[in-house]
Amino acid sequence: MTTAVQTQELAPIKRIRDMPREEYYVPGHRTCAGCGPALQYKLVAKAAGPNTIFVGPTGCMYVANSSYLCTPYAVPWIHAQITNGGAVASGIEAAYQVLIRKGKWEGKLPNVICMAGDGGSVDIGLQAMSAMMYRGHDSLFICYDNEAYANTGIQTSPTTPYGGATTFTPPGKLIPEGKKTFPKDPPQLVIGGHPAVKYVATASIAYPVDLMNKVRKGLNYKGPTFLHIHAPCPKGWKFPEDQTIEIARLAVQTGMFTIYEWENGEYKYQHRPQQYKPVSEYLKLMGRFAHLQPEHVQKMQAFVDAKLKAPGMPVEIPIPPPRDFEAMDLGEGTGTARH
Amino acid sequence: MAKEVMISGCAASAQAAKAAKVEVICSYPIRPYTAVMMELAKLVANGELDAEFIHGEGEHAQLSVVYGASACGARTFTGSSGVGVTYAYEVYSPIAGARLPVQMMIADRTLDPPGDFGSEHTDAFCVRDMGWIMGWAEEPQEAFDNHLINYRVGEDPRIYLPQFVCQDGYFVSHIPGKVVLPDQSQVDEFLPPLKMDHRLDPKKPISHGPQIRPDQGDALELARAMAMNEVPKVAKEAIDDFARIFGRKYSPFVEEYMLDDADLAIFIQGAHAATARAAIQKLRKQGVKIGMAKLRFVRPWPTEAVAEALSKVKAVAVVETQTSYGGATRGGGLMFEVCTSLYDVPKRPLVTSFMAGLGGEVVKVEDFEYMAKHLTKAIQDGKVCKKVHWIGFEPD
Amino acid sequence: MYLIPEHKQVPFAGCTTAPVSEQRMMITGNWRTYRPVINREECNLCLSCVAYCPDACWQLNEAGDEVVWNAEYCKGCLICVNECTHGALSKAHELDFEDGVVRLDKPF
Repeated sequence: MTTAVQTQELAPIKRIRDMPREEYYVPGHRTCAGCGPALQYKLVAKAAGPNTIFVGPTGCMYVANSSYLCTPYAVPWIHAQITNGGAVASGIEAAYQVLIRKGKWEGKLPNVICMAGDGGSVDIGLQAMSAMMYRGHDSLFICYDNEAYANTGIQTSPTTPYGGATTFTPPGKLIPEGKKTFPKDPPQLVIGGHPAVKYVATASIAYPVDLMNKVRKGLNYKGPTFLHIHAPCPKGWKFPEDQTIEIARLAVQTGMFTIYEWENGEYKYQHRPQQYKPVSEYLKLMGRFAHLQPEHVQKMQAFVDAKLKAPGMPVEIPIPPPRDFEAMDLGEGTGTARH
Repeated sequence: MAKEVMISGCAASAQAAKAAKVEVICSYPIRPYTAVMMELAKLVANGELDAEFIHGEGEHAQLSVVYGASACGARTFTGSSGVGVTYAYEVYSPIAGARLPVQMMIADRTLDPPGDFGSEHTDAFCVRDMGWIMGWAEEPQEAFDNHLINYRVGEDPRIYLPQFVCQDGYFVSHIPGKVVLPDQSQVDEFLPPLKMDHRLDPKKPISHGPQIRPDQGDALELARAMAMNEVPKVAKEAIDDFARIFGRKYSPFVEEYMLDDADLAIFIQGAHAATARAAIQKLRKQGVKIGMAKLRFVRPWPTEAVAEALSKVKAVAVVETQTSYGGATRGGGLMFEVCTSLYDVPKRPLVTSFMAGLGGEVVKVEDFEYMAKHLTKAIQDGKVCKKVHWIGFEPD
Repeated sequence: MYLIPEHKQVPFAGCTTAPVSEQRMMITGNWRTYRPVINREECNLCLSCVAYCPDACWQLNEAGDEVVWNAEYCKGCLICVNECTHGALSKAHELDFEDGVVRLDKPF
């Protein structure tokens, strides 16, 4: 006797006012005030809904969230090592496939989401992430990128930007820029090399509706999907904690972070600026770049310009102005109009 | 219908996993255990076993995958050998502390350096303090039986501990022996389905493994130690039930072979116990009053059973097929626990150890005769001449 | 054989029950030095504050006509003040309020 495994279909969210009310990442966690990764976790959990199992590799979103013996997850959640988030998520997905098939658990296949930091995704966790993408598990791997090993006190990771000061890349006489290497590009590591993956996307906490819809799209897709979410870290990047969204927005507006989807071989862009601001506008707001000299900023600008011109990233094609629902004054349709 | 076959230890382990209806298997190739997975792959591909067969990206991943799967309440199976066992080290404690009854088959293998496919117990011994149940089989039938017994014990609600089911690489894993494969109904009677309250289920959400403060750590560790304490009772029940259903009676912890009237004892675990039996029979014919205490569980260490068995004799040869460099004897690791077990016995036997079978070298009947010679001399002298002998490298 | 004192009791296998709507073992309202204050005249219910709060401390009420602030957990990061699209939110010093600085019965 075998039962067919069925999956959920999550509907797209039109605008902030339509987002689900229920929270599955609830108040009461020890993350820093203004924590970018905490915000993306809240939005991801909200988009995913109750039929979800989270895997939490060690990192800020493990330690800060679960200190001490308590968590903010209203859905099942399990700790994983920083090394093996992808593998643990694979095991959970496999278990539910066989348990449902054998009639031991009734319901639609739970969303299996591995919520890994940049280190747990593309550094020490790279092997496990890649294998999960390769094996075709019906699951979602999220890399929340705060561009450092933040939980251990801000050390460099493969996604720390060029010139980013961390406690392992301090600027000094011999190394004036602090960090000499340019970062890995997490979605590009996944795209093209994992045949089972049909959907890879980037998102930012600056655009929450876009983020939540990509979570739902990733979960709806059969097979493994990958999301790279930009999540600024006030402590690590050294900016005031009320600026988190502003910083995330500027990252997109300067081209330091690009919002796009790769779907069945094609690129689609969201929230593309009509005109890119110079990276200096972004760098000057954060203490981690305070030591940079003009020649370092130029190198950074050149890197961003080259990345924007890379295959699949047409810069010249004119694009219509984005319909920015968040900024619009929406009085209609809710029954609670004030005008 | 039960049927008798001639199969290797690896094939026996695969048949046991099939009989246990394991649900999630995670593979990765490394000699000599790989044959288990090759066998299971065929069974799954042919629809003879309904399980998810996951190709892990390495041994660390194998243990991680079964950690996740077991946390959902699925019966899991994995395995490895040698450096594969040590590569996965990080995950052993998390699995045991999370009280997940994962089962890992270890066909042991000498650790690098350099590459050596030969059998040695060091790989599994490295991880014996991680909180898993652990024990060796002497031949394929015992390997098959140990898998079922370990699932039954590890999954018991009084226990919930993972298990290392070990066998000597090559000597057991690859040399065929007689195995009676039971009827499925017998297995179903012996081994109930896995039930776990502490599992990941969207219908009953839990947070599994939040960060703790240092002052919360000791209580959790005491709980793990207490779980180990419950194992002997549950294991005895399981082994009695096993005998009733399958007709094969095992001593739960220490098998005593010709020990009651013996002066000398060979203390040993694993494949070379078979050779020891032959040697003991030969020596007995020559009038040497020698017997064997065969260890079936390394963890939990059966302190009372070891003391009871060995206090019957005057001199003990601990056969060490693993190394503990720089340890108290400058030899292996079994000696420490044997001596601890005997410390409070009023009339302690003399104890010495013999490094044998290291690197996968064969252990011969003559080697046991050598051990008997030294034990006899020790009794005459009233003391052992040294704490460790390296068989094949001694001047005499 | 062993006695585990009351304050050392730990859950089986380190598994805790999941929270439902808040995690009372980590109340964070006493972190803040400033709190957001809302001018309801200016609020157009864009719900940006609800979206952007990392601690889910702004929620739309049942009737759907007011956003409600969670004094017990708000860390005072003031992201909401920054992101409010209509200037309805401003910051005020926590000690200006009689119920300022959530006090816990015991640490943690």
